[in-house]
Amino acid sequence: MEQNLQSRSLVKATIISVVIAIFALILFILPAEYNIDPTGVGTVLGLTVFNEQPKAAAVIKAEDDQGAVLITIPAGRGIEYKLAMKQFEKVSYQWHTNTGQVYVDLHGEPKGDTSGYFESYTIAVVDTMKGSFTAPFEGSHGWYWKNKTDKAIDVQLTFSGQYIIEGVK
Amino acid sequence: MILRLTLSNFLIGAFILILWMSFDTFAHGVDETTRHFLVNNSGVKMIPFMYIGAKHMVTGYDHLLFLIGVLFFLHRSKDVLLYVSMFTLGHSITLMTGVLANIEVNAYLIDAIIGLSVIYKGFDNLGGFKRYLGTQPNLRAVVLIFGLFHGFGLATKIQEFNLPSEGMVSNLIAFNLGVELGQFFALMFILLVINVWRRYQSFYQFSTATNTALMSAGFMLVGMQLTGYFIS
Repeated sequence: MEQNLQSRSLVKATIISVVIAIFALILFILPAEYNIDPTGVGTVLGLTVFNEQPKAAAVIKAEDDQGAVLITIPAGRGIEYKLAMKQFEKVSYQWHTNTGQVYVDLHGEPKGDTSGYFESYTIAVVDTMKGSFTAPFEGSHGWYWKNKTDKAIDVQLTFSGQYIIEGVK
Repeated sequence: MILRLTLSNFLIGAFILILWMSFDTFAHGVDETTRHFLVNNSGVKMIPFMYIGAKHMVTGYDHLLFLIGVLFFLHRSKDVLLYVSMFTLGHSITLMTGVLANIEVNAYLIDAIIGLSVIYKGFDNLGGFKRYLGTQPNLRAVVLIFGLFHGFGLATKIQEFNLPSEGMVSNLIAFNLGVELGQFFALMFILLVINVWRRYQSFYQFSTATNTALMSAGFMLVGMQLTGYFIS
């Protein structure tokens, strides 16, 4: 039924398969999947494009733009979703989880600040929230959700106003 | 003969179409529209869940690679039916119990094991186990065991969505049925291609190369998933 290769051929076949796999992994798969690109070939071929932060998309300036995003917060982890806003720009938002309550901290960090300072606008443990805020200073404003359960939580967020999307952090 | 030829042409055409369609999906990945449906769904939705199950199988190249490995040297319909049944039994058990009992396994590790199953079968097809162990491990048991792991893989993907418990059992059964349908569909093409190819001398000339390539694909899957596991 199956083949009966000699030991030498078997070893050869196995080594060849491993070598090809390693080449494919290092040159193509890891750069494309995980942005791990030790040789630089992935970048040259443009394969790392899948992992680029959405900078280009973020440049789109919006006057009262609308955004909607589904954010999955892995079990036991915290995730930030941020918008870049100038001083006195305003955003209205609404979000809800798919399952139960979650810790949330809506806050802002001044632009260029490296001290880790941030100002919280709302801190709560809820499953849904609706409101608006005006940026008191130019910087990065948005939500930090902390999933304290042992299951992933999905947050459906919609927002509108003046902002540039920075996205998940 | 003419009819047969036309049928093969049609099937091969459809096969290419499916390959092309699956470019926007990755093994096990769930695309945006499906994700949206899963997250917002509530209640029993038999047909959509069947469809997702079928699509998952048809576009899940790691499952398909394993099946190619298993079917490579099987030409009796009885054997095909037997091994496919073992695989189906295995993955149905873990898919259902995994989700219902809420057993969460790391998806990267499960997918790495699925990659391992591809390597195993490629090596087995080359006669590796016979050569080094003196005997070929019971293929029925092996297929069943790897089927169990494949089912866990399916289960972890479903669990990521925290599906509402309302209608969960029915939806799961529908998903599982869809997986079997998709598998049946995929098997038709795999068998067709292998059986047509088997008529030519090149099948035997290239069988070492083919199974080496299969092993290599398995190593790629393992490498990719383990990397994902360690960096996530």
